Amino acid sequence: MGSKFNKELQTLVKDKVISPELADKIEQYYATRDIGKPNKLFTVFGIFGALLIGSGVILMLAHNWDEFSRTIKTILAFLPLLVGQFLTGFSILKEKSKTWKEASATFLFFSVGACIALISQIYNIPGDLGVYLLTWVALCLPLIYLLRSNAVALLSILLSTYYALEIGLWRFRDNTTPWLYIVLFLTILPQYWRLIKTKINSNTLTIFNWAIPISITIALAAFIGTSDTLGFVMYITLFGVLYNIGRLPVFRDLKVFRNGSLIIGSLGTVICMLIFTFKWIWSEFPDNPNYNTHEWYMTLVLLAIALLVLGYSIWKKGWRATNLFQVTFVVFWIVYFLFSTFGALPVILMNILVFALGISAIKIGADKFDFKILNYGLLIISILIACRFFDTGMGFIVKGILFVLAGTGFFLTNYFMLKRQQKISKQLKDLQL
Amino acid sequence: MKIIHVFIGFVIVALIQIFVPLQMIWQQEDVLSSGEVYKFKTRPIDPTDPFRGKYITLQYEMNSFTMADTTYIQGDKIFVYIENDDAGYAKVHSLSKTDLRLDKDYVIAKVTGNHKDVINFKLPFDRFYMEETKAYDAEKAYRENNRNNTQNDVYALVHIKEGKSVLKDVIINGISIQKFVEK
Repeated sequence: MGSKFNKELQTLVKDKVISPELADKIEQYYATRDIGKPNKLFTVFGIFGALLIGSGVILMLAHNWDEFSRTIKTILAFLPLLVGQFLTGFSILKEKSKTWKEASATFLFFSVGACIALISQIYNIPGDLGVYLLTWVALCLPLIYLLRSNAVALLSILLSTYYALEIGLWRFRDNTTPWLYIVLFLTILPQYWRLIKTKINSNTLTIFNWAIPISITIALAAFIGTSDTLGFVMYITLFGVLYNIGRLPVFRDLKVFRNGSLIIGSLGTVICMLIFTFKWIWSEFPDNPNYNTHEWYMTLVLLAIALLVLGYSIWKKGWRATNLFQVTFVVFWIVYFLFSTFGALPVILMNILVFALGISAIKIGADKFDFKILNYGLLIISILIACRFFDTGMGFIVKGILFVLAGTGFFLTNYFMLKRQQKISKQLKDLQL
Repeated sequence: MKIIHVFIGFVIVALIQIFVPLQMIWQQEDVLSSGEVYKFKTRPIDPTDPFRGKYITLQYEMNSFTMADTTYIQGDKIFVYIENDDAGYAKVHSLSKTDLRLDKDYVIAKVTGNHKDVINFKLPFDRFYMEETKAYDAEKAYRENNRNNTQNDVYALVHIKEGKSVLKDVIINGISIQKFVEK
C-alpha cells in the first residue's frame, strides 16, 4: 500500500474520524487483497520488453548480413521463431501467469514477422508489403485465442489497418479493395466482446474501445476507391454506427473518455454534417450515380448495421432516451436521397440539422450538469456560424454582431449552469443538515 | 478448454508458422536448383530515384513488347514468355493474358501502360537486397555502370521455373555486385 494512503489513515486516526483498530483493519485489508493477483504493471512491462526485443531482432536481421551463407541466414531466421514458440508453448503447458503468456505471445508475434521478412530478403522475393502483412497477421491470429492475448490482438488490429491502407490506398495506380481486412477484423472481434463481458472498466478495454473505431475509420478510406461522393455517405453512416454502438446499454456506465466509439462517432458526424452545410458540396454530386458498385453495397451494409444498432437501443431504452446524434445519419440519408435535387433546400435542411445538433448537445450537457458536453454544443453552433461567413454575402456589421452574440451565449450559458449547479448543491446541503 | 487442448491447438499453429516460411524457402530453392537461368539486361535507372533503404531497385531493358492490342490495360497480370537472344540475354517471345502452355519459360508481370501499340510491363524481380552498409555503394555502382553501359555488361541473373522466378545476383563487369562494391 502506498505511503500516502498510510499517512491519510494516520491523519484520520489523529483527527478521531476512525479508531486505531479500524485503521489497522483497513491497512490489513488492502495489504492482503492483492496477494496472488498478477501484477498489472509487470504484465505491461513484460509486453513492452517483448515488443522491444522482438522489434530489435527484426532490425538486426534487416541488416542483411552478406558474410553469412544462405544456410546460416536461414537458420538465423528460424532461431527467434523457435525460441518464441518454445516460450509460448511452455507458458501454455505450465499454465504460467498472464504476464508470461502476453510477453511470450508478443515475442512470438514479432519473430514470425522477422522470419518471413528474412526469407524474403535471402531470396530477393519481390516486395509486396500487403501480402507480407497479411501472411504475418494470419499466422498470428490464433494466438489471440489460444493465449487470450490482448497484446497480439492489438498488434493484429494495427497491422490489419496498415494492410488495408497499403493495398487499398497507398499503392500508386494499383489499388485493390482490401476485403480481407474485414475477415481479419471479424476474427479479432470475439476477443473484444469477451473483454466487454468480463472487464468493462479495465484500461485494456479502454485501449480496445479506441483502437477498434480508429482502425475502422482509417480502413474505410481504403474501400472507397473512385466513388468520392459516396465516400461521404459511407463515412456518415459509419459514424452513425459508431455513435450508436457507444450508446449501447453495455457501455452505459463507462466514462465518456473511455468510450472511443461515442466520441469518434459524435465528432465524425458533426464534422461531416458541417461540410454538408456548404453549397458547393451539393453541386459536386453526380446527377446519375452508379449504384452497381461495391461502394454502394458496402454503404447499404453499413446502413443496415446502423439501423440494427439504433433499433436495439430504442428497443432497450425507449424512444425518450434516444438523442438527435443517434438518428443524424437517418436524417442525412433522407435529405441526401430525396431532396438533393431541390436547389437550396438540402443546404438549408443541413444548416438546421447542425444547429439542432448543437442545441441538443447543450441540452444534454445542461441536463447532466456536464460542462464539457454543454460547451461542445456551443462550439458546434459557433463553428456553424463561422462557416456561414464563407458562403453568404452578409455585411461585416451583421457578421460582427453574430460573433458577439455567439460569444455572449458561451458566457451566459456557462454562467447560468454554474449558478444552477451551485444552487442545487446548496439545497442538497441544506437538506442534509 | 483443457490445457492440453489449448496446447495441441498451439502446436498446430506453431507448425503452420514454421511451415509457411519453409514452403517459401522450398519454392525458391526449387527454382534455383532446377529452374532455367536467364540474364536480364538492366537499363539506366533514373538518377534521382531515391535510395530506398537496404535494397536496390532494378529496371530492365526488357520492359515492353510491340503488339497492337488495346485490351491490355494498366494493372493487368500478364504471362511474359521469354527466350534468349543471340548475345545470350533474355528477350520477349510473346505476351498473353492467359497461360498459352508454350514450351517456353515465362514470368508473370504487370502491365504499366499501353501506348501506340507498345505494351509496357514491370517484371516481378525488381528488388535486390544488400547489406545495409553496402546498399548505397551498390546502387551507385549499378547506376554508374548502367549509365556508361557501352559494353552492356550489367545484368541480373534470374532463375525461372514454371512462372516462378528468383533473382540470384546482379553482375557488373562479370562480377557479383556484392564483390564489386567491396573493391
